[in-house]
Amino acid sequence: MVHSHLAFLPILIPLTGAMIALLLGRRRSLQAVWTLGTMLAALASSSWLLAVVWRSGQPVVFQSGGWAAPFGISLIGDLLAAVFVVMSQLVLATGVLYAIGSKDSVVKYPTFYPLYLMLATSLSGAILTGDLFNMYVFAELLVISGTVLTAISDDRYGTEAAYKYFYISLLASFFMLLAVGCLYVSFGTLNMADLAKRIAADSGGQLLLPSIGFLMATFMVKSAVFPFHFWQPDFHTAAPTAVSAMLSSVVVKLGVYGFLRMTTLLFLPQAATIRSLLLALGVVGVVFGGLSALGTHNAKRMLAYSTLAQVGFILVGIGWGTPLAIAAAIVFAFNHSLIKAGMLMLAGYVASRASVKSASFDVVTGVGRSIPAAGVLFFIGSLGLAGIPPTNGFISKMFLFRSGIDGAAFGSLAFIGVGSILTLLYTMRAFQRIWWQDPPEGAKAKPVGDLLVAPFILIGLVLVLGLWAEPLVQVATDTSAWLGNPAGYIQAVMGG
Amino acid sequence: MELLTAIAIGILFALGVFQLLRRNIIRSAIGLIILANAVNLFLLSTGAYISIEPAYVSDTTGVLSDALPQALILTAIVISMGGTAFVLSMLYIISARYKTSDMDEVDGLKN
Repeated sequence: MVHSHLAFLPILIPLTGAMIALLLGRRRSLQAVWTLGTMLAALASSSWLLAVVWRSGQPVVFQSGGWAAPFGISLIGDLLAAVFVVMSQLVLATGVLYAIGSKDSVVKYPTFYPLYLMLATSLSGAILTGDLFNMYVFAELLVISGTVLTAISDDRYGTEAAYKYFYISLLASFFMLLAVGCLYVSFGTLNMADLAKRIAADSGGQLLLPSIGFLMATFMVKSAVFPFHFWQPDFHTAAPTAVSAMLSSVVVKLGVYGFLRMTTLLFLPQAATIRSLLLALGVVGVVFGGLSALGTHNAKRMLAYSTLAQVGFILVGIGWGTPLAIAAAIVFAFNHSLIKAGMLMLAGYVASRASVKSASFDVVTGVGRSIPAAGVLFFIGSLGLAGIPPTNGFISKMFLFRSGIDGAAFGSLAFIGVGSILTLLYTMRAFQRIWWQDPPEGAKAKPVGDLLVAPFILIGLVLVLGLWAEPLVQVATDTSAWLGNPAGYIQAVMGG
Repeated sequence: MELLTAIAIGILFALGVFQLLRRNIIRSAIGLIILANAVNLFLLSTGAYISIEPAYVSDTTGVLSDALPQALILTAIVISMGGTAFVLSMLYIISARYKTSDMDEVDGLKN
């Protein structure tokens, strides 16, 4: 294949960038500019990958070291992986912009940018890899870089939140190793395409069901799905703004990606069972996340709980499992990443202007009086989160509801309808507290804070993708059609 | 021997989970280390593995065991070593801040 290196570039560019950024540790402004350049180059390479894959209709497969498929590690850029990588790197690039304009002392730490680039590397790697063990390695790298970035946060509870998360994640990675072991002993391969082929041919192995359970648990921890969500609000609140905006938007999508791969490629004979479980967990997540977000006293924490609810929406889409619902889930995942990253950056921006650096509602009440521009952005973001036109949130919600009506799943539709109303309630309450109420006596907003460039770009994209949604919907529909044809994926990887 | 290995791994898992659920944060970190070893042993036992013959190559039976799980374990050991070191360093910071090793007294996040 002519363009096979394209599946490798989105991993290689941030990895090399991280090494060089480490050498630039003493020259901070140069390091920041270098990081931004690296992320933009990575974004360009992944967009190129998406364009090539979409136009040619063939996955781009890179066999590392020239070893043929089941023996070496294959990197596979099919449409799903390409969409997810573009989504991650787009949001990660705006995160660098926010970090550059940030007043936090954590961004002055010499290893902040290298760690950030490692986050980008590992996220792209975990999505693009076609090997289960390689995915474990990248997921572990993702966890470690995310945890270190939180542990050095300005928030004094950063270390504790990081400890809590790392502890749970280590357990999740043990689960993943157990799944790897079970699958290897049953089928003798770890290449996902090869595994899919063998599982479809013979699903009699006794260790197959445990391995499905272990993988489910792993991805549930990664995505903070309902029973495994307890670390997430603390972790996402304590992280520095530039990082928490990434953790709560794109990093949680790794689990979503894993679930998509599990139900459409790896475990096709068992997909119906997995889907019904995901549907139930998604519905619980939507309602529980919405209610918890309503009960919080901190803007960042509210948005973290909101992620729990929004991931629930995506899981409901995957759980319905019709081609239309899967396309809706992909659109939802893409749009949610943009909205949530933008909203968290705005919450962090407000916190940076408050008298004490905190996003607690008691502190930020009335802070918005002096920053109307952020208020407009926050309002548009709230509309997006709640799914009201003209934002992209409307497109994703409408798409999801339409697929639900198509599939006649009215019970779960009613629940996610309630979830949508809850979203509107909590975002509007936050908007009212920050921008409408008078500040308490004696509280004075700071005249300067972080820069608004990054949230401006993200919320701008929210509007653009709301008014001109066709390309994204088209890509998602095509992706869903590709996912309906696992034989094509297997053939592209294994050859022959 | 297979039975013995299985029982040994099972005991390690039980010990690890038990320690993991203790309130003392140092004990729970030790539980994590035990669990990591249990998982690695489990991975080792997924390779072809005959009686008390060495796990790699056997001259007597002529059986070559599968080397891939061992490569996986090597990677997993390195990763879990890094993870353990990181956990212990965070533990050090936390216990120095709260002057305790009881998890219930580390309650800064609750407020």
